[in-house]
Amino acid sequence: MMQSSPLNFRRAVIWLGRIVLAGIFIYAGYAKLTMGMHPRPPIGVALSFFAMQVDSYRILPVWGVTFVANTLPFVEIGLGLLLLIGWKLRVWATLITLIMLGFFIAVVRSYAMGLQINCGCFANPEPLTIRTVLRDGALVALAALMTIFAFQEARKPHPWTASQNS
Amino acid sequence: MAAVMVLALAGALSFGVNHKLAVRTGVAATPEVSAAAKALPASVPSTIDLASESSTSAAEVEAVRDPAQVSGVPEIDPHRAFGSKSAPIAMEVFSDFQCPACKQLYKTTNQQLLDNYVNTNKVYLVHRDFPLPMHAHSRVAARYVRAAAQLGKGEQAEQALFQNQEKWEQSGDIDGTLAAVLPATDMTKIRAQAKGTALDAGIDKDVALGKTYNVNQTPTTIIHFKGQTYPVVGIVSYDVLHQFLDQLLSQR
Repeated sequence: MMQSSPLNFRRAVIWLGRIVLAGIFIYAGYAKLTMGMHPRPPIGVALSFFAMQVDSYRILPVWGVTFVANTLPFVEIGLGLLLLIGWKLRVWATLITLIMLGFFIAVVRSYAMGLQINCGCFANPEPLTIRTVLRDGALVALAALMTIFAFQEARKPHPWTASQNS
Repeated sequence: MAAVMVLALAGALSFGVNHKLAVRTGVAATPEVSAAAKALPASVPSTIDLASESSTSAAEVEAVRDPAQVSGVPEIDPHRAFGSKSAPIAMEVFSDFQCPACKQLYKTTNQQLLDNYVNTNKVYLVHRDFPLPMHAHSRVAARYVRAAAQLGKGEQAEQALFQNQEKWEQSGDIDGTLAAVLPATDMTKIRAQAKGTALDAGIDKDVALGKTYNVNQTPTTIIHFKGQTYPVVGIVSYDVLHQFLDQLLSQR
């Protein structure tokens, strides 16, 4: 592939990461607010139910659990949309990578401790298993690659605007 | 690099398969269970996929569902339930007397729940036995507590077993643990009942009911409110549970 082509390996990873992670973040936030129920439960019920799932990880104090439960679904939807739009991509990609890393650490810790809890990732009764750990690990890897490549690509002029003599 | 990409793609694809309800993964629903799941009343949880429980037969599902139920909770043994049947919220706690997390939930959360919600007629609390096969003495413990409950001593028996769990789970001396807190006359009756297998039917019914909720670990709490069912797996702090219960109560 030519160096000036708009699509190379790095850009493909960035696009894949944006689409996959944005989709997951938007869906995860939406699922936490609706709990997969029809009709949708009141927001207070959904958020306090999610708080119980956060609490089951036994990591945060009650005020921390409440804070995370009341903000995370909205943050997930917002970051997902920003990632999809692509504005200030490096900022949001970095934030999403850090959040994914936080999720991954929490999941690995709970799995290693043998806590028999639900993942809470999509506000459904999904048991936390080795599959959850592998899935989160793969997503962290994707987020990290997307972020690193986004920074690397930003150093180079865009192929469509770069001088043809270079 | 390519390996990492493959891993990332595998993760994304795996998400595509199981993101909606992960309990569906890897289990093919048998036709009779799917039919039974469709036939269940509206109180059946929308957050749980009943059809995924392949080990539960349609007959078992039907056997434990009783249309004449309290607050959406089927098959209630009055000796194992606390509070008012007309309470707006019903909670079923699937528990194993030998499970450390159940002990913690009982000591830290359920005691306060009894004081602040059950005794004030806001919550109807139902104890369900779910002895896990990995625990050698939990079924016997469940029998003893059921026998004690029939004499109105269920709460005392439950408290004694949870508080002394480390002692009897090593030795299996459930009888001795209860004899230390219950009168000798009661213990004679309890012993006679617990030695047999007559109480196993009730325990098995609880386990079968748990399977219809996809319970596979303890403690699992199923909260019923206005026909909706909210499953909570593991230990939950009282302060966090109380926020959720207050949110439900504010919807009345």
